[in-house]
Amino acid sequence: MHYQTASWGSYVAASRSNAMVGVGGDPLERIERLASENAVVIFSISSCCMCHAIKRLFCGMGVNPAVHELDEDPSGKDLERALIRLLGTSSVVPVVFIGGKLVGTMDRVMACHINGTLVPLLKEAGALWL
Amino acid sequence: MASQRIGGDTGLSESLPSTHHHAPTYGVFQGINTPQSTLMNEVGVFDFGELQEAIVLQGINTRNDEEAKASSLFITGRPAATLEMFPSWPIRFHQTSRGGCKSGGGGEESTDSGVNTNTLSSKLEPEPHHNHFESQDSPISSHHHQQEDQEEQPIAICDASRKGPSPQQKKKGASSTSEKPLDAKTLRRLAQNREAARKSRLRKKAYVQQLESSRLKLTQLEQDLQRARSQGMVLGCGGAGTNISSGGLQFDMEYGRWLEEEERHMGEVRRGIEAGLSDGELRVIVESYMRHYQELFRVKGEAAKWDVFHIINGTWTSPAERCFLWIGGFRPSEVIGMLIQHLEPLAEQQIMAMYSLRHSSQQAEEALSQGLHQLHHSLLHTISPATPTPVPGPPPLGLQHMLSAISKLANLEAFLRQADNLRQQSLEQLCRLLTIRQAARCFLVIGDYYARLRALSSLWASRPRESTMMMNDDNNSSSQTSTDLQMFQPCHQNHHFSNF
Repeated sequence: MHYQTASWGSYVAASRSNAMVGVGGDPLERIERLASENAVVIFSISSCCMCHAIKRLFCGMGVNPAVHELDEDPSGKDLERALIRLLGTSSVVPVVFIGGKLVGTMDRVMACHINGTLVPLLKEAGALWL
Repeated sequence: MASQRIGGDTGLSESLPSTHHHAPTYGVFQGINTPQSTLMNEVGVFDFGELQEAIVLQGINTRNDEEAKASSLFITGRPAATLEMFPSWPIRFHQTSRGGCKSGGGGEESTDSGVNTNTLSSKLEPEPHHNHFESQDSPISSHHHQQEDQEEQPIAICDASRKGPSPQQKKKGASSTSEKPLDAKTLRRLAQNREAARKSRLRKKAYVQQLESSRLKLTQLEQDLQRARSQGMVLGCGGAGTNISSGGLQFDMEYGRWLEEEERHMGEVRRGIEAGLSDGELRVIVESYMRHYQELFRVKGEAAKWDVFHIINGTWTSPAERCFLWIGGFRPSEVIGMLIQHLEPLAEQQIMAMYSLRHSSQQAEEALSQGLHQLHHSLLHTISPATPTPVPGPPPLGLQHMLSAISKLANLEAFLRQADNLRQQSLEQLCRLLTIRQAARCFLVIGDYYARLRALSSLWASRPRESTMMMNDDNNSSSQTSTDLQMFQPCHQNHHFSNF
């Protein structure tokens, strides 16, 4: 059911897979599971503009991230709460996982990009091949 | 009248207006050739060219009107335009005595003004006026000097009352009364003198008018500034922070303090580099400069909570900076690009790293810009619902829409924060990539660039604009004034930019 695709379809595939998984399960575990399914995973909210920005950042770099829209997920609220606990801040979206590991929210991602650690991370996770 | 003439010079007995037909050519030549002529009339005329023409070139009516005007002015007083320039000009005429005695005291008052009073009495004793002329405004005096020599003669005056003789009396050129016929060379020279005198007069007039208008503008601006400051202070102190503008004003004050700090840091870095401090000492300076920038970002973030529009719109910046603003501040990729040029020589590896930093910054900027664009779109969509209303007129926005719009606007603060974060990260990365000395030069280049932008803004705001009213004064002098105005501008600019 879950497969890694480095294509545009990964976005759609991921959200469908969410719906298939169902509501049960510890949200944190679910997050971890979702995060390890793709090289780059973004938890976002469809109406959030900052999330849009981060998506454009990755697409501009040639990466196709797997995006999970929390407002389109039935258990999105739980996931959001879990993420808040994980990160310790209230503005939790967008949050990015690369290679299953947590990178952080927008400012962390930008800082990583500027100091040159983002691209190696992406290459290591197999999301970038140049 | 003629009999009253002293020195029996020119025999110009009548006063000007009546001498149009008169052709007293006599004194003219002497005036040109013998500067030390004794016949010094204290002529306070300022329209020498016209007078000279009237008298010398009898019947040439090119400037008849001007002459008539000049002559009548001469009689009645000075024209207003030059009054302010030479406040010491006394009006010494007595209209009654046309050719009568005119107190020639102009000399003593106008100690430094070249153009003395319009007393036209011929001088009693010979007084060299050359020195006096030199002390006047240079562009004018030299021309007037020559003019005066010739002018005096024709002006019929009472000689007897010539008093004084201050060494400042204008030298009245050769008012010898020899009546030589004019030859072509002299005519030409006279004409040239006339032209030169007229041009310099016009230039002076234009300059004076420009000065006056600038002075008025300056006083107006000062008043406005005082008013605004007093209002600002009231708002800043009295406002409890609930007033949005007060937060903006407070930030403006803090930014002003930051700018002063910036100057101090720049001076430190400059001195550090020139003095050849050790790397360790330079590092301390650079790090404090870095903290200085971080402080700015922090203050901006705080102010954005109160008034995000004030920060994002760049109301606190100078107009030139504001024009090229990106989300409330500078665009890191542009700054990095500028630094790459200024920091040569750079090691190969450093150049690569700088270019890659610029590239990453560009990608991040693009992402943020697109996010902001999306915000704009969704906001538009929120405040202009697609559903048409049956009632004519603008539909009222539902409460839900309003709340939604407001929550969207709240995202602006987040974008500003991310943009400032990007700027800070870029600066920190620069410090990591470069040697400490190069990093110090970076801060200098950046600081200088923005200081110049600020100076450019104020220079632009205060540049003298072509005053059309000046050009309308003399239709045939418009070219003169415009070139004069342009003459003033470059000097002004050079002064500002020479500081850097």
